[in-house]
Amino acid sequence: MLPRVLTPLMPFAALLAGWEGYCTVSGVSPLILPPPSGVMRALVLNRVEIGQHALASLRVAVLGFSLSVGFAFATSVALHFAPRAERSLMPLLVASQTVPLVALAPLMILWFGFGLLPKVLLVVLVTFLPMLMSLLSGYRQTPQAFTDLLVAMGAGRWMVFRRATLSSARASFLAGLRISATYAVVATIFAEYAGARAGLGIYILAAKNSFRADLVLAAVLVSTALTLALLGLLRLADRLSARGPGARDDA
Amino acid sequence: MLEVGPLTIHAGVGTDASVLVREVSFTMPGSGITALIGPSGCGKTSVLKWLAGLRSKGLRAEGQVLLDGAPLRRPCRALCYQPQGDALFPWLTIAENAALGLEVAGMSRRRAIAQVTPLFAPFGLAGCEAQFPVQLSGGMRQRAAFLRTVAREGRYVLLDEPFSALDAVTRLRMQDWLLARLHERPCGVLLVTHDLHEAARLADRILVMAADPGRIIAEIVVPTPQDQRDEAGMAPLRETLKSLLLEEHPR
Repeated sequence: MLPRVLTPLMPFAALLAGWEGYCTVSGVSPLILPPPSGVMRALVLNRVEIGQHALASLRVAVLGFSLSVGFAFATSVALHFAPRAERSLMPLLVASQTVPLVALAPLMILWFGFGLLPKVLLVVLVTFLPMLMSLLSGYRQTPQAFTDLLVAMGAGRWMVFRRATLSSARASFLAGLRISATYAVVATIFAEYAGARAGLGIYILAAKNSFRADLVLAAVLVSTALTLALLGLLRLADRLSARGPGARDDA
Repeated sequence: MLEVGPLTIHAGVGTDASVLVREVSFTMPGSGITALIGPSGCGKTSVLKWLAGLRSKGLRAEGQVLLDGAPLRRPCRALCYQPQGDALFPWLTIAENAALGLEVAGMSRRRAIAQVTPLFAPFGLAGCEAQFPVQLSGGMRQRAAFLRTVAREGRYVLLDEPFSALDAVTRLRMQDWLLARLHERPCGVLLVTHDLHEAARLADRILVMAADPGRIIAEIVVPTPQDQRDEAGMAPLRETLKSLLLEEHPR
């Protein structure tokens, strides 16, 4: 048990030790590269302020991610039942992913202001397609024998979808969720970076402008923790919803 | 009595169209096993799927099915189809899998499970109700799949190579088991197989198909009761079948 826990932690420990050692030995200025101990100190000292900004980011990320899941699911069902629409819409959807965030984020602020809406929309835009693609790909993985069996039993298209297609797409959907969850926090910070009243993105921008690399890294550390927490929630949802041994996808 | 045909199945469209199956006709009594044998690609599975009411992509079929002289619209409850392999849904328990056909027909899950539960003991699956397919052996999974098929109480059962994935010993056991179950609950069985031993051991009547295009080239009635058949005694029948198949396909 212990080695299983320790194995993924060891590279982190080695990285931190190397980083700390380099800062001590090289004499590099903490303004350029603060040691991990300095980052931790900055995090503890500014925990209330960073915590408030982290909560604001978490709210945007969770709201955007949840909306994106719902939107991706509804779209996937519609496209599954209308394959022609999938063929005509897919290029547009893929093109939406090629728009550089760095260009889009300020425009969103310009169009929708400094409130919640532009940031949530940006998170939806970034996380939507991986989930949609994973759902559609999962639907296509439904074994033909399952479909044939249900049709021969007299099931209609909707029942085949409900009883076989949806469950067959579970693993693929969870993989899409994992990818999108990692994008959600990054997209939130990007949106806040372009303009916000609160959030880790705007905090990082302010810290950078004050030459506080330790605070920048402390905020990065918190954003990583938020992403890991989201992934942890997904793993929990996977475990709670899994049916049968071996059904878990370890999201 | 089930009367099938004349069935012709076309593959492809326009100038690329070809005849996959040409004017296949046969009848099936209300009890006993009719085996459909033939080389790969002769259209055995296509005939079975069409009979089950399944539309295969790229195939166009013409023909009709009469049940007791009346045209039969399919899929229907009178014909129960079991696809190749066991096609058990991995996310459902064995009881839920067994009850699937009844649920699709509109019964509530609880009532459907209550209806199939008494069948578990005669099918050698007592105590497996709450288990998942992955927890059962290949033979048990096949029994569960057959339980799901007969639970629908159709008059005819369509089996597509049900034992092809099993090892030799399990296959022999399952063949004995199938005969015993059919003795208890008689129904008409159409068994698609490429195994001459299996056909000679189980069938009351064997329909031999040839390919290019798929057609029935011989119908052989096997008068020996199944419990009096042995390897040596059935060797002449197997030789006949083999020569029929080789004559049509001399490489």
